[in-house]
Amino acid sequence: MAQSNNKRSPQGKSGSGAGATAKGAQPKGPSPKNQPATGGKGKGAPVAARQSVAAARRSSNSNNRTQLIIGVIAVVVIAAIIIFGLVLNKKETAVQGDGYGASTQSVATVSAGVVTVMKAGAAPTETVDVFEDALCPVCSEFERQFGQQLNQAIDQGQLTVNYHMLNFLDARSFSGDYSTRAAAALLCVAEEGGSQPGLYLGYHSALFATDTQPAEGGTADLTNEQLAELATSVGAPAAATDCITAGTNVAAARAAAEESSATLSAATGRVATPTVLHNGAPVSTTVDWLTTLLAQ
Amino acid sequence: MTLQRTVSTGELVRDVIGVLARLGLAAVWLISGFLKAVDPRTTVVAVRAYQIFPESLVGIFAAVLPFLEIALGVLLVLGLATRLAAVLSAVVLVAFIAGVISAAARGLSIDCGCFGGGGDVAAGQTAYTAEILRDLGFLALAGYLIVRPDTPASIDRLVRRRSGEPA
Repeated sequence: MAQSNNKRSPQGKSGSGAGATAKGAQPKGPSPKNQPATGGKGKGAPVAARQSVAAARRSSNSNNRTQLIIGVIAVVVIAAIIIFGLVLNKKETAVQGDGYGASTQSVATVSAGVVTVMKAGAAPTETVDVFEDALCPVCSEFERQFGQQLNQAIDQGQLTVNYHMLNFLDARSFSGDYSTRAAAALLCVAEEGGSQPGLYLGYHSALFATDTQPAEGGTADLTNEQLAELATSVGAPAAATDCITAGTNVAAARAAAEESSATLSAATGRVATPTVLHNGAPVSTTVDWLTTLLAQ
Repeated sequence: MTLQRTVSTGELVRDVIGVLARLGLAAVWLISGFLKAVDPRTTVVAVRAYQIFPESLVGIFAAVLPFLEIALGVLLVLGLATRLAAVLSAVVLVAFIAGVISAAARGLSIDCGCFGGGGDVAAGQTAYTAEILRDLGFLALAGYLIVRPDTPASIDRLVRRRSGEPA
């Protein structure tokens, strides 16, 4: 308190004259013409007043400049962090194996409701287990980012993928059993057309495509007929589409989903998709997970 | 001429509230920004779930938002341009609240994704009221800092002291 009083006192004592000088002088700078008018009362006052006004103006100017500099630094900090973030984000979300496209060499076989996909006749050194739910939006993102890279690794005979289709999101689908029916449809395609190169992975990608996948809590999803049509559009044989339309594998898909959920819970302690297991341990699916895994 | 500077109780209370508000809001931004930044796939899904942005803008919004939050958190931790950071915080929070209200009004059932996660949830599992109240609490912190941006242990105050201005 004492300090600030000391600082302010000269201005306060100099009275209204100094105030007028301060106001009048602000735009132009100190004006000698004003001096006689304000200097009429005391001898020391004008000098003190002028000094304090000059000091105040200096201080106020430098204060404004400081505030401006701080503001500019703050904006630069924000911009730098966001640009850093955009670069990092672009790197983290970059589509892997972009341009490779659909799988051309893969075949699919079914064992206890789990679909194993690999290059025909190859003996891949690495195997991963992928857990997905057909309704899960993050699985769609996963497919978009890593689908082509997986296709490529499988086609080159480097990788075997076991697809475990879960159904814990059934209740969130419009029909109440979309996840199960989609898993059943995938089983149909694997059983009836699994030996057709690339067919299973093509249908799998089609199901997860952003414009095909139904929304959670949405007002529509795909009927069995529509799931069959989608299979036809990627080249599935009539036997597969008949199987989908009739819902032949629904019970099998439900049982497989239950078993896979138990496997996933045992390995990670929870049921969340997409999850990738390698040798039974969860893989953190950062941008280079597959590259790293294959380089081992 | 006494050099002693007596600090009034009111000033002390203001300082304590100010620094708590600043660091509290900073923690909110840093945590929520970090949780969104480390899981970009989920953040994209959370932004898309609001059905506010066209698909072409969802990605860019999901990329910028986490780091804008982190930037605000950094400014607040440092106490650098506190008032500016508080004003921007308030703008972002008001936008969040508007987004949640709009989602509720359109009958969407989503998780706000405020602290990572997000996306659609089953009807009846939404928590719009709690989410809005929480954001209003954060908005109150920002509001306090807009009115009283001068807080202890901040670059702002350090600079002001050094340039000879009374705090």
